Amino acid sequence: MRRWVVRSAGLAVVVAVVGIVYGCGGGGGVLTLDRIGREDAPKTMTLQLNNSYTHQNSVTPSWADGFERLFTKFAEEHPDWKFELEIIPANQTTQEQARLLEEARVGRAPDCANVDSFVVAQFIEQGALKPIDQYFTKEEINGLFPFVRDVVVGDDGKMYAYWWATDVRVLYRRTDLVPEAPRTWDELIEYAKAAEQKDSKVDGYLFNGGRWEGTTFDNLAHFWSQGGELVDAEGKPIFGEEPNRTYMLNELNFLKETVDSGASPQRVATITNYTEFESAAQAQEVAMFQGGDFEYPPLKESLPPEEFDKYEVSLLPTMNASDPQKTGTGGWTMGSFSDDPEKVKMCMEFTKDVYIGEGNEVTGQLPTSPELFDTLDKFQAPIYDKFNEALKYGEARPGVPVYPKISEELQIAIGTVLTEEATPEEALDKAYKASLAAYEGQ
Amino acid sequence: MTTKKAFAPRELISENRPTLWMAPLLAVVTLFYLYPAFEVLRFSITNASLQAPDYEYTLNTFVSVLSDSVLYKVLRITAIFVVASVVLQLLLGLMIAVAVNRARARRLPGMVFMRSVILSAWVMPGVVIGIVWAIIFNEASYGLANLLLAPVGLGDVAWLSDPNLALMSIVIANVWRGTAFSMILQYAGLQSIPDELYEAAEVDGASALQSFWHITIPQLRPILMINIILITISTLNTFDMILPLTGGGPGQATEVLALHTYNVIFREYSLAGGAVLAVIMLAISLTLTLAYRRLLRSEEAL
Repeated sequence: MRRWVVRSAGLAVVVAVVGIVYGCGGGGGVLTLDRIGREDAPKTMTLQLNNSYTHQNSVTPSWADGFERLFTKFAEEHPDWKFELEIIPANQTTQEQARLLEEARVGRAPDCANVDSFVVAQFIEQGALKPIDQYFTKEEINGLFPFVRDVVVGDDGKMYAYWWATDVRVLYRRTDLVPEAPRTWDELIEYAKAAEQKDSKVDGYLFNGGRWEGTTFDNLAHFWSQGGELVDAEGKPIFGEEPNRTYMLNELNFLKETVDSGASPQRVATITNYTEFESAAQAQEVAMFQGGDFEYPPLKESLPPEEFDKYEVSLLPTMNASDPQKTGTGGWTMGSFSDDPEKVKMCMEFTKDVYIGEGNEVTGQLPTSPELFDTLDKFQAPIYDKFNEALKYGEARPGVPVYPKISEELQIAIGTVLTEEATPEEALDKAYKASLAAYEGQ
Repeated sequence: MTTKKAFAPRELISENRPTLWMAPLLAVVTLFYLYPAFEVLRFSITNASLQAPDYEYTLNTFVSVLSDSVLYKVLRITAIFVVASVVLQLLLGLMIAVAVNRARARRLPGMVFMRSVILSAWVMPGVVIGIVWAIIFNEASYGLANLLLAPVGLGDVAWLSDPNLALMSIVIANVWRGTAFSMILQYAGLQSIPDELYEAAEVDGASALQSFWHITIPQLRPILMINIILITISTLNTFDMILPLTGGGPGQATEVLALHTYNVIFREYSLAGGAVLAVIMLAISLTLTLAYRRLLRSEEAL
């Protein structure tokens, strides 16, 4: 009798726990860890998203809350659909894009997915992404920033992905140490050294110089502003041929000069993430840094108001005062790989309802059309006028198959120049030779 | 007249006919080990890429990888990384194992806690270790290592921005991670040495150092060999810790073979190139393993 009671009680506990877990997982609800929509919805599609852009973002709770609200609302408004989620951790997005290419190649890509803006062109070339322009008006497409249209619209004039959030690189400076924004490279170095004279604790100018994509991407602005082109129309590297060779050497020499002159510490060769600049700002040990617009909110949150008020943002300096102040722009798109037109349509409806506009409001990531800058509440603060202005000079990375190799080689080139392992000429020649070899091998 | 033996299904899986009962194991090994290894070998003789659906069989990828001067730079960096890591892990592991063993013999308190603390470094994911050491080696004034060294006038060490020091830094991080495993193996080995040997040595008037050299080391030799093989292969495959710590930089100063392979596949999208590098890594691992085993056998023969 006693054994029967114990066993029954144990079974009851197990049933209760399973029920609680099932209930918490939202088995009967519209949003769970791996599903948007009701479990019994008649139509299903697969959806791959970066963790940052979902209700599971553990780093930024406000984003998680925002996306939870948006996903739930979308699911309630589309009761016939169930999205099976695959969430990609933030530190795996690079290899996941490579895996997505592989999956697309064999026809196993998800129906709808986040696609990094600088690999979109490769998916278009593979014929993996499906055209989506029929789901947007001509005004909506033409209203996108030019650098956005250049990436998401194929040679056939059709749009293949919607680039919903972008970012831009600008110069942050402490106005108590650097009252005026430098317009040229020489002024940047001069002002950085002057700032160090005023406060010996401070590094004059910090930038990404370590071994990661940010190093190539951020510093390409110096190359582009001179009129440089990395590749030709066929996607062949040309940055080692004149006049691009001179432009690239100018960039490398400028970066070398920042360290040689003492304007920047040698440790810039180790910087591989933007939070390093925020840490330096919090420690009050930096006068200027080249960072992204996305650093503005965390800086505002982490610095005391009187410290934050010292900072101003300006466009990136150039070699000559007359050069356009180009800047690199990145960000994420949504695209569909499905052969089912209904799923492609639903992917774009999801994109419109969750990410375009609403997603920008949740994340604070910059919208990709001037019109959204004017209409979204989040972007009415004066700082966004500056970012909007910078976007007009935005330049996206070339979406050619050899770009990742070019980026890798330029990261190595910049690193070896900053640490004096190689001269700018040696570093550039090596990078160009390796990039050409990779292009010819493709 | 012989009587026909009745059929007994049990005999199909008897000791004399192991095939059937080994079949599930063979299936698992084939599917999850042999087939992937075969695919890597196969891709290494193609020009397969993640960007193109079609590929051809060719030896050009092998030629191109083997004739790239970067490979030899990467191999040199890998050799330094592996040799330094293996030697230091072995030595430190042995020192800690001997100390813990002696403390256990003397019944000193806290040894289980001590072993747990040391082991905690080993169970941490490599990425976390890389991030932690990136914080420690940060060259800003608030970087932990320079902060601690500043009072003695050494607060300006270029841990990660000097190419030579960066290589030393990844060795330090890797040794910190791997010493625990080495310690555990050697601690287990020390447990198996009969006390009588030490007692006999003591009676013969041997000093502690003589006992260590003439008893402990010879008795530990098989464990040491296994240890060397395992940590060599493990170190050769390390890239998860290096990626967040230096990314292979500055320049290519810390780009070891495993990280180079990762970059070739996920940055250059070259499946074939990555496969060739994987084959090279396999060849190196096999060669070292065979060399260690031969060394062990020849010493046993002596």
